[in-house]
Amino acid sequence: MIALENVTKSFGEYVVLDDVSVRFPMGKTTAIVGPSGTGKSVLLKHLVGLLKPDEGRVLVLGTDMASASPREMASVRRRMGMLFQDGALFDSMTVGENIAFPLLHHRLDMPAADRTARVEEVLEQVELPGFSTRAVSDLSGGQRKRVGLARAIVTQPEVVLFDEPNSGLDPITSDSIDALIGHMQEVLGITFLVISHDIVGTLNVADCIGMLYGGKLIAWGTRDEVVHSEHPMVRRFLQRNVELPTHPSSSHRLPRA
Amino acid sequence: MGRFSWFTVDFLRAAWRRPPPLVRSMEEAYKIGVRSLPILFVIACFVGTNLALQGYLAFQTLGGSHLVGMFVGLAGIRELAPIIAGSMVAAKAGTEMASQIAVMRIREEIDALEVMAVSPHWYLVTPRLLGIVLVLPALTYIAMAGMVASAWAVAVFQLGLNGPQFTQNVLDTISQTELFFGAMKSMFFGSVICLISCYCGFYSKPGPEGVGLATNHAVVLSAISCLVLNYVLSEMVYG
Repeated sequence: MIALENVTKSFGEYVVLDDVSVRFPMGKTTAIVGPSGTGKSVLLKHLVGLLKPDEGRVLVLGTDMASASPREMASVRRRMGMLFQDGALFDSMTVGENIAFPLLHHRLDMPAADRTARVEEVLEQVELPGFSTRAVSDLSGGQRKRVGLARAIVTQPEVVLFDEPNSGLDPITSDSIDALIGHMQEVLGITFLVISHDIVGTLNVADCIGMLYGGKLIAWGTRDEVVHSEHPMVRRFLQRNVELPTHPSSSHRLPRA
Repeated sequence: MGRFSWFTVDFLRAAWRRPPPLVRSMEEAYKIGVRSLPILFVIACFVGTNLALQGYLAFQTLGGSHLVGMFVGLAGIRELAPIIAGSMVAAKAGTEMASQIAVMRIREEIDALEVMAVSPHWYLVTPRLLGIVLVLPALTYIAMAGMVASAWAVAVFQLGLNGPQFTQNVLDTISQTELFFGAMKSMFFGSVICLISCYCGFYSKPGPEGVGLATNHAVVLSAISCLVLNYVLSEMVYG
């Protein structure tokens, strides 16, 4: 189970998450959308334990990340993968070394040949066969995302988190990343959680969508429910109206998925 | 200070749980040694020349020019060689550590390590610390040798002093204990430089300005800490 229960997080006087409660369905792709600065990445960082809430509980695979010991947190993190906004690849390593990194540290008994084979396998899955000896500095933005995704799935995690997978990409590359996310979810059948401000791309890949705005989850539901939402902020966001007010005037909740 | 203490505790905990990656530690030692050696040797040599010159000028008026060797031994080997080696490593390797780790922080590579359940303290700090602690005593001995050799050259060829007597004076002043203590001092300096530099990188502010500030803080704090530590250690052993 992955859920946030009454999570509040502030930085100084700025409330980033305001009493957010949500339960993410397992084995599906869920997207959290919203304009920049609404706390999407902060929410994601709570799920991987990089941030702790001021109040509330963050339940991930049976562990409350807010109160977990370092050992418990490490145990949960080994069951997760994450694609960072810019890939967060290690420039001093090749593509293959980057992807093999989690295996080297967590599958100590894995023979080198099996590790190499697994790296090649995931590179095939992200449509970058033969890239293992390439330098990270030689990759394009889209390729970095694909390598980041390969690294995220190489240990066969139960949950994969995506932090703005489309940021900094041209529309065509962005679409191809969305298609890849959709395809990977079908192939792997695991839980994907995508944080994005790209509503169009999100609609293509997500089974469930939540919209964060002003630190609150103002909409939540299946893709169709959110698309047909009457909430003015959701409507504006869907219509790509960027002139959103600073704070939401109301909270409109759709039925829980 | 509180945050630095927690950083050190986290590092010690990580190092306790898992031994440092040896290959990467050796690579760090090699990088630190090779990159710091040329500048360190040049500076040590020219500090040695001035020690001989100033020692001669001070002792000549008292009729004790034969004491120049003793002066070089006391000031150069006991005090200056370890602190110069530490300062050079802080300036070269320390700044590099701080800036590298700061950039990793900005690019979310440190977050990625945490999410992959690999302790960044273990992965980034332990090999650097082991590398610096292994290599600094060797650099200190090289600095000592350069300092004494250049002082000997000035004393003999420029000031006209007796070479064997100068050498004997140096040897009379320096015992194995001094050499051992010099190496120990440099290990302390290395640990302090590494922890401070890595800490500055870890908690760097975002953007290029943040990297610059982290690098700047690393070298300033390392140099000041080494100077204070040098006094405390000398007072404990010689005081």
